[in-house]
Amino acid sequence: MINIRSLTKTVSSGDDQLTILDNVSIDIPDGQFVAVIGASGSGKSTLLGLIAGLDAPTSGTIEIDGDEITSLGEDDLARIRSEKIGFVFQSFHLIPSLTAFENILIPMEIRGQPDGRARAENLLHAVDLSNRGHHFPAELSGGEQQRVAIARAFANRPTILLADEPTGNLDSKNGMHIFDLMKDLHHENNVTLVLVTHDQMLAANAQRQITLKDGRVESDSARQ
Amino acid sequence: MKFIINLTRREIRSSWRRLLFFFLCIALGVGSVVALRSLIQNITKVVGVDARALLTADIEVSSTNDFTPADIAKIEDVVTKSGIVEARNEAITTALMARPVDPSNQSIEFVELKGIEPPFPLVGAFELADGKPFDFALLQNNGVVVSRVLLEQLNVKIGDKIKIGEAEFQIRAIFDEEPGGSSGFRLGPRVFIEKKAFDDAGITRNSSRVRRRILYRTSDNPTELVKQLRESLKGTTITVASYREQQENLNEQFVRMENYLALTGLLILVLGGVGVWNVARAFIEQKRKTVAVLKCLGAGGGKIITVYLLQILTLGLVGSLFGVVLAQSALWFAEWRFGNDLPAKMTYGVGLSTVGQGIVLGVMISLLFSVLPLLQIRQIKPRLLLRDENNTSLDRLDRSKWLVGALILAALLALAVWQAGSFKVGAFFLGGLFVTSGVLYLAASLLTRLLRKVRSLSSFTFRQAINSLYRPGNQTRIILLAVGLGAFVVLTVQTMQGNLMHEFDFTKNAHLPSLLFVDIQKSQVGDVLATIQRRLGEEPQSIPTVRGRIAYINGKPFDFENREIRQQQGIIGREFALTYRSNLDDNETVIEGSWWSDASDPTPEVSVEDDIATSLHVEPGDSISFNVSGRTLTARVQNIRKIDIRNTRTAFAFVFRPGFLESAPQTFAASVLRRAPSTDRQRLQREIVDRFPNVQVFDVADIIETVQKLINNFVLAVSFVGSFVILSGILILMGSIALTKSQRIYESAILKTLGANRSTLASILIAEYLLLGILAGTIGAVFALGLSFAVSRYLMDIEWVFQPMVLVIGIAVTTLAVTIVGVAGSFDVLFRKPLATLRSQ
Repeated sequence: MINIRSLTKTVSSGDDQLTILDNVSIDIPDGQFVAVIGASGSGKSTLLGLIAGLDAPTSGTIEIDGDEITSLGEDDLARIRSEKIGFVFQSFHLIPSLTAFENILIPMEIRGQPDGRARAENLLHAVDLSNRGHHFPAELSGGEQQRVAIARAFANRPTILLADEPTGNLDSKNGMHIFDLMKDLHHENNVTLVLVTHDQMLAANAQRQITLKDGRVESDSARQ
Repeated sequence: MKFIINLTRREIRSSWRRLLFFFLCIALGVGSVVALRSLIQNITKVVGVDARALLTADIEVSSTNDFTPADIAKIEDVVTKSGIVEARNEAITTALMARPVDPSNQSIEFVELKGIEPPFPLVGAFELADGKPFDFALLQNNGVVVSRVLLEQLNVKIGDKIKIGEAEFQIRAIFDEEPGGSSGFRLGPRVFIEKKAFDDAGITRNSSRVRRRILYRTSDNPTELVKQLRESLKGTTITVASYREQQENLNEQFVRMENYLALTGLLILVLGGVGVWNVARAFIEQKRKTVAVLKCLGAGGGKIITVYLLQILTLGLVGSLFGVVLAQSALWFAEWRFGNDLPAKMTYGVGLSTVGQGIVLGVMISLLFSVLPLLQIRQIKPRLLLRDENNTSLDRLDRSKWLVGALILAALLALAVWQAGSFKVGAFFLGGLFVTSGVLYLAASLLTRLLRKVRSLSSFTFRQAINSLYRPGNQTRIILLAVGLGAFVVLTVQTMQGNLMHEFDFTKNAHLPSLLFVDIQKSQVGDVLATIQRRLGEEPQSIPTVRGRIAYINGKPFDFENREIRQQQGIIGREFALTYRSNLDDNETVIEGSWWSDASDPTPEVSVEDDIATSLHVEPGDSISFNVSGRTLTARVQNIRKIDIRNTRTAFAFVFRPGFLESAPQTFAASVLRRAPSTDRQRLQREIVDRFPNVQVFDVADIIETVQKLINNFVLAVSFVGSFVILSGILILMGSIALTKSQRIYESAILKTLGANRSTLASILIAEYLLLGILAGTIGAVFALGLSFAVSRYLMDIEWVFQPMVLVIGIAVTTLAVTIVGVAGSFDVLFRKPLATLRSQ
């Protein structure tokens, strides 16, 4: 369960203060598939980053399974991400010095899981890349890199998957493939999926759509 | 832990190429430390390990005068009472001319003659060249055992006869290594004869440079005995030495030399550290995203720092091991290149403890110089994956960085003190390094700033080249500092060589004699001078000399129990050639007191040479008592005299006012200025020695040639080490090229898109490195000029000569090296297709 209360994020832009998120409050129950949509600069990615503890809000609180995370230090936030959150970025952000297999393995190693290799093999298989595991990111296509990123996000069996425009850098065919893959994994693993996207068609597949505008929640509707 | 080890391994797998320069910087530094330390340790092992073997005894009692019966009685009394003396022998040494008896062989050479008696040696062994032990019977009935090199010099063989003084000797055997070693400056090769042959051959009769020694082997610590002998012989000109004191001095000298050389190695290693710092900084910049991803995946900052720290330490360790391999190669190179000038029995392996030291140093320097860049990992936030924050500087200084910086400095100081073996020297080294680096860095900043002012040049190529020097992350000033420092070391040594060579240049110093004749008896003066004039056409100058030693200063004898005085023993305790004259020579000036004022004053007066006066701590008005042929002559110091030693026909430490030395036994010295060819000089020497065997002839030209060779070898060795400093600068340059390559590729792609062709880009590239090289060379040259001036003028007191060619060549070579390395490292950029580059940005 994710509980967001009165979340505000302002940043300095020269002498001015720029409000990116303005008093946002949202509750997301376990296992829900939520699409966050909105125009560029509406605060979607910032919201996702704050939920993942990648940045600190200016005010407001975020609770994950009852734990308030905005007051936590860097290392505690890292622990929460390691245990509960998977993240998929628009530009993949694989570690270029590691192979596809090792990229999937690394979250489990960080967490100190002993059975990492077998699970990494399974995840590679699940994203249909069994024969590409020994390749480095530079040797993979964009779609393949994003599939590795999704497998990596699921490595530690997170309860929450946050995806920031995961299909934004892919062509429509590959984009659809990635989306289907995430949707399937969401179903199979019963994770909470928060998807930030521009794509109305993808958002239409979500159980709930939250629209942001100028840092505020403009609409919040569940699919009938 | 598994995560840390696995990630470290994987990161090394992918990053080692990028960190190659890191690796090489450490390898070069460790290589220098290990090579220099091992070299001096190996030399020490051969020449200086055992002072007892060097002295060939435990105690040496020596004098340049005959021991009087009273002296011998005193010595024997103390020795007998001590009850620790096991064995005793006497030896007598001098330098003399030797020539073949065969009249068709006109060779003549100075030899260091040593008369010995059994048992010899008291300590150590004497093995002949054929491997057989030395047998005293070889010397009986006028036999000699000679150093192998003499056979070549005199063109003789075993069984031939040579003439020394008035006697003939047969060469019975040769040796390669003599007891006591062959280190130190010598006038010629060693020749052993029987001690009693010295007197029989009339060698000691007229020669005044004879040293007599009584040697003892003791069964116990000789320190107390030495003390008692000194006490008993106080006021005489006899000196007492023990192997323990000599060992102490020798050890100190070698340790000091080893530590100074190790500091030179440390300098190269610290420069390597600067390279490490550079590489680590750029590496962390490049790893921003990876660090952010790892943080996003749940890794804490501490874990990530540990991964990169481990990576750095691994590379530091492997670099250090490679450095050991480099050191061993350098030692083999030294054997190949300098083997003939180094002791014959020297080994060329790296020492195990030195290897350990090198590795510890290498790893520590890797760690110390990469800690600050690594700390930047803490400032990398995972949010940069959401927003482009690549332009945020990581170089912000906070309190923890200041603290770590202070710890790094303390650790560096500890390393320097460890290597120098002294806190003072270590601190001075580090302080000096900081000041020098600071000054060079300031100069580099000033020059680059000046260069910026001329950016409005009409030449597009140079304008672009200057712009390139300011490319972010280009490390221009650091490269200038490192390469400039290397050029500075090498050029300082080269200009000092030029100055020293100038000192010994015959053609420049018209008053420096080419031949010096000493020990001419009064009855021989006319004939000797006539012979010289007949052979060389020059009327030589003759000077009366009286030999004497200092007995007292202001009525007190030297206290050789005092270590400081004992260390000066060679200078103040030796026998001096005294002379007398009424006038100052052309090359002399009085700097304190006045020249002879009152010729009728009954008190003897003496003029003292400046440096000797400093060593003796005397000034006008003090008194010095000389022992001249057993009689004491006390003189008042009338003045202190400075001699222009560069241009001097004679250089007497003590000159008396006429009227006091004339009655003492005296000989004459004569000098020749004419630069005669070496064959003419040799023929003259041969005739003089044949006719007047007691006369000693010094071929000054020959001696100076030996000194010049020594200087050249020294300069070559220092330049060799200095070139390592340049090499570390070049490595930093190569590292910087590799790290800024992507930027250069991007710039080139844009310029190509805008219409620049390959030749334009190539000229920009060449111009950039030309400028960099010229700046680095100029910095090195200017500072070398300053330092060589200061050292020549104020430290060595020699004439400073401006040598523009050395500096121009220095700047040219530096420029060439920088340009070649720079262009070679970046040339492939010209051939990249711009589209692929621009797309990937």
